[in-house]
Formats: sequence, structure tokens, C-alpha cells
Amino acid sequence: MIEAILGGLANVLNPFTLFLMVAGVLIGILMGSIPGMTATMTVAVLLSFTFTMDPGNGMMLLLGIYGGAVYSGSIPAILIRTPGTPSAAATIFDGYPLSQKGEAGRAIRISTVASFIGGVISVIGLMFFSPLIADAALQFRSPEFFALALFGLTIIASVSGDSLPKGMISGLFGMLVATVGIDPLTGFQRFTFGVPELLTGVQFIAVMIGLFGIAEGMKAYSSGIDGEGKKVEQDIEGIVPSLSDLKAIGPVSTLSGIAGVLIGSIPGAGGDIAAFITYNEATRWIKDAVPSFGEGNIRGIAAAESGNNASTGGALIPTLTLGIPGDSVSAILIGALMVHDVQPGPALYQEETTLLYTIFVGFLLIYVLILLFGLLGAHYWVRLINIRESLLWPAILVLCVIGAVALRGNLFDAWVMLGAGALGYVLRLRGYPLAPMVLGLILAPIAETNLRRSLSLSGGSLDIFYTSPIALVIILLSVATIAVPAVRSLSSGSSA
Amino acid sequence: MTVGTDRLRSSPLAVAFIVGAAVVILFAAQFPSGGEVGPGFFPIGISAGIILFALVELVTESDGGLDVSDHDLRAAGVVFALVLGYLLMMPLAGFLVGTILFLPVILYYSGVRSPATILLMSILLPVALFYIFSQFFLVPLPEGVIPFSRLLPRLPVWVML
Repeated sequence: MIEAILGGLANVLNPFTLFLMVAGVLIGILMGSIPGMTATMTVAVLLSFTFTMDPGNGMMLLLGIYGGAVYSGSIPAILIRTPGTPSAAATIFDGYPLSQKGEAGRAIRISTVASFIGGVISVIGLMFFSPLIADAALQFRSPEFFALALFGLTIIASVSGDSLPKGMISGLFGMLVATVGIDPLTGFQRFTFGVPELLTGVQFIAVMIGLFGIAEGMKAYSSGIDGEGKKVEQDIEGIVPSLSDLKAIGPVSTLSGIAGVLIGSIPGAGGDIAAFITYNEATRWIKDAVPSFGEGNIRGIAAAESGNNASTGGALIPTLTLGIPGDSVSAILIGALMVHDVQPGPALYQEETTLLYTIFVGFLLIYVLILLFGLLGAHYWVRLINIRESLLWPAILVLCVIGAVALRGNLFDAWVMLGAGALGYVLRLRGYPLAPMVLGLILAPIAETNLRRSLSLSGGSLDIFYTSPIALVIILLSVATIAVPAVRSLSSGSSA
Repeated sequence: MTVGTDRLRSSPLAVAFIVGAAVVILFAAQFPSGGEVGPGFFPIGISAGIILFALVELVTESDGGLDVSDHDLRAAGVVFALVLGYLLMMPLAGFLVGTILFLPVILYYSGVRSPATILLMSILLPVALFYIFSQFFLVPLPEGVIPFSRLLPRLPVWVML
């Protein structure tokens, strides 16, 4: 392992790779600092820049954006009570009261250090636990992989929105779209209607750019974009947190980091869920909080920020080991790897160890960069909130178009992107979560190929699923994931 | 249990999903059989799932949509129409000229009124993206009927290396 780590280190210390990491972190901090510009959207619209890069370099740019945006979402949460990204929503509880007391700089420094601690814990967890999971998954055959894809879909649908039926419809619709193109087992053309571009299926990167770029843009314009920019006047002084502050947040940041990795590794449970849970747990366990939680306690900020940043490495665990995305950003990262014919899953740990350890070591270094830039540049980052959305959204729309066009060098994918954008906007208005749709697009080929292979092996008998203890347990978990909330909802409905 | 017409009206997308999934089932039923399960098996199974969950939604939920009272749906329509026009124009104008024409309109619609800002952004962004994608990443971009982008000087070789 040490040899692999050193190999990864040698790769990331390449000047161009370092440049991409720095650029990614800075772009991530910039976009995460602007409310409404999420990590998912930024990664989706800038994915096109990685198409011709070496996959390791491409991942460094995208992971830099991911980590930078998840970290900097806390800055507007602290300063103007508006999270830059959804995962920073829990940071408002104690960050904004501190800002009101004139201690915004202290709050941002705490957020930076806690983000670093959570991020580092998550990468260490990823580096040491994911090979074990991948090893176990190497024993999986078709029935187990089908069961995993089913579980991925059900758990994602159940945690990504208020409505389980809407989440399932969104996920199943994504799976249906993924069936377009040549059937991988028989070569039959499904739903292609004579369109040659559809033979290889609907390009899911185009769909993702539409769902997270165009749809978000339409939503931003319909809610009214900010032509003047927010006004932040508070000056941020100092660079390093005080020793007493560091001592106070150390334990809570570490424990929240560990919890954040575990929560992030559940498919569909992203940084927002991780931060709310770790914040809530901190308020339950720390009884002697002075000031109280919600009134500007730095340990509240640390719990939320360590939790949400730890979810980033956690999300990569199922993504890299099983090919099941941990959240929307990691779904896009799967797309980024697949553009280079790299298929995430247990085989990746056998065939692409250099790429893997480049990702691990690079992601660790990205969190070091976040710590450095976060502390040294806090004075400047707060000014980013003043950037006018009226300048950013037109540029993002152009980036969406060029991203889709650059995918295969044709306009067809741009039309797919625009269609997905319009559909995504309408679905969001009606309360359908979009993340399950993207994950359905990714999971459908895994589910279909392995279901049909399993049934071929068993001569059409379903025995093959319940004679495999692992597949049976995973399928039962999938059923429980749908059944438990449904029964709870029905019982609460009947008792109301 | 019956589903009232008010439910159908409050969940129009659930109804659309049911109709769309039914059409897919009819279509996929025509696919040839192959092996134990043919190419139509999965689309039919997924569509059946969509119909099932859409029916559950119709029966159990009143309206889970966002409160759109403060949403200007027309603004979303305008943005969609502008991007649509941008894409329609691209085969004729190419990426470079098409973007130079699209940006002033969307910037103005976004509330930017400074002519200098509009002019600078409408020229610098498309030119920068053209160089990055077309010359640095070597991704072919639409050139249009008249390839104006070829008039731009090529990047120096040292930049390409």
C-alpha cells in the first residue's frame, strides 16, 4: 500500500496536476460562496473541461471543485444566513449568530479547520476501508450486483426527497431513459426511432448537465436572480484560530468527521443530511455548551462543517467500490470516469490502482489546499458573495451548451441537455427529486445486465436470488427501505 | 378506493407518467423475445413500477409541489426559449458567433445594463472558451456556414505543449 501511496503522491505532485487541484479548489470556493451555485451544478457544467484530460487529472479538477464548494458553502451561511450549498444549511444555526456578534472571521476560521478535519478523516476512511469493501465485492456475481443496484435505487429514492413515490418515479424514469439504445445482450435497438445518435443510448452526462445546469438556471430566473449582488460589509481579520478554539472543536470535529464518513457512504445521503445529523448529535451530547447551541457556539459550526465535508470522501466509498454513487456529485464523477472507459466497481481496485491512489492522495492534498486557502484568503472569499448572479448565470448557460456539444462533438446531445433541463425544471416544481433520476440512469445498466444474466444462468428461475445469502439480504433491505416508510406514513395518516 | 378528479388535476405529472409508461409497455411488448428474458422485459418492468408508484402518489398525496406563487414561470420560459434559439442558431452561426450573439441578449435579460460589461463579456467569454476547447483540448466546435472562428490566430505552440 505504501508503494501505491507514493505512486499517487508522485502523480499529484506533477505541476499540471497541482495546477488543476488549485484551480479546482479556487473555482469550488468561488461557486460555493455564491448562494444558489451548488457543488453538483458546478461539477456538472465544468465536467467538459476534463473530457480530453488524463482521468487522474480530470478527477483532481472535479474533486477540487467538490471539496472547495462544500467547504465554502459555509461562508454565506455565516455571513448572510443563506447557505452557499445545501450542505451548509446546518452551519447557519451557530454561524450566523456569531456573525451578528461581529465574530464572522472567527466563525469562518472554525468552519475552515473543521472542514479540513472532516475532509482528512473522510479521505483516510476512503483510503483504508474502500479496498476492504472492494475485496468483499470481488466475490459478487450477477445476483448480488442486481440486488445492489436495486438497493441503491430504493435507498436513494427514500432519502432524497419528502415523497417516496416521487423519488421512486424519478429513479425509475431515469432507469427507463437508460434503456434507450442497443440492448447489450441481444443487440436489438430499443426506442431509437432511427436516430443514429441514440444507438449508444442517451448520454447521461448531457442529461446531468441539463438537470443540474439548465433546470437550476430556469429555477434561478423564475425565482428572480440578484442583479445587484449581496452586500457584505463585515471585515475578516486574523488568520489562524486561537488555541482555545482549536481545543474546543477538536473532539467534536473528529467525531462528526467519523459520523460524516459513515452517513456519506450511504447512497443518496449527501452533505446536507450528514451535517444535520452531526449537528443534532452534537447538541444532544454536549450538555454544557456556552453559549447555547443556536446562539453562536463554535462547536455547532464545527460539527456541521466537519460532518458535511466528511461526507465527500464517504460518498466516494460506494462510488468507487461498487459503482453505486453516494450522492449527485459522485454520480457525475462516475460519468467523468466512464468518458475515459474507466468503470467504477471492485475491478477498479485490481486494474487501476495507480488512478485510485492518485485520487486518494490528491483528495487529501485538496483538503490541505482548502485549509491554506480558507485561512489565508478568508478576507477575500467573503467578497465573493457580492458577485452578481446576473453575470454568472449567462456564463453558466453557455458552459452547459459547450459541455453538451463537446461530449461527442455534435449538437444532438445539446438538444438532449435542453430537454432534460426543461423536464428537470417542471419535475422540481412538482416536488420530484432529481438525484434519483441521475442515479437511475447509472444503475439501470448494472441492474438490467445482471438481472438478465442471473435469469439466464438459472434458466428463468428466481431461485438464484434467494439461494445467494448476500443477494437475499440486500433484496430484503431494499424491500424494507420502501416498506418501512410506507407503513409509517400510512399509520401516521390513519392516526391523524 | 377511487381517485377524485381534483387529485388528477393536482398531480398532473403522475397522470402523465402513467400514460407515458403505458405507451412504453405497449411499445416494448412488440420487442422480440431473446433468451430467458428479452429486450422488452426491463422497460416493461420499469414502466409497471412507474405506474404503480404514480398510482400510490395519486392516492396518498395531495400536492407535494413547490409553492410557485412567488415563481415567475414566464422568466423560466424566456430563458428556455433563449437557449433554444441559441441552439437553433448554432448550425448556421457556429459556436463562436452564436455565443457572441446569445450573450448580449441573455445578459440584458438578466438585468445587466452596462454596455461595456455586456460588450466585454460577450466577446471575451466566447473567445476564451473557443481557444480552450477548440485549440487547447482539440474538441471540434460547430463552425457555422461561414467559419469566422478560423480568422482567429492559432495558439502559440508552447501553449499547446
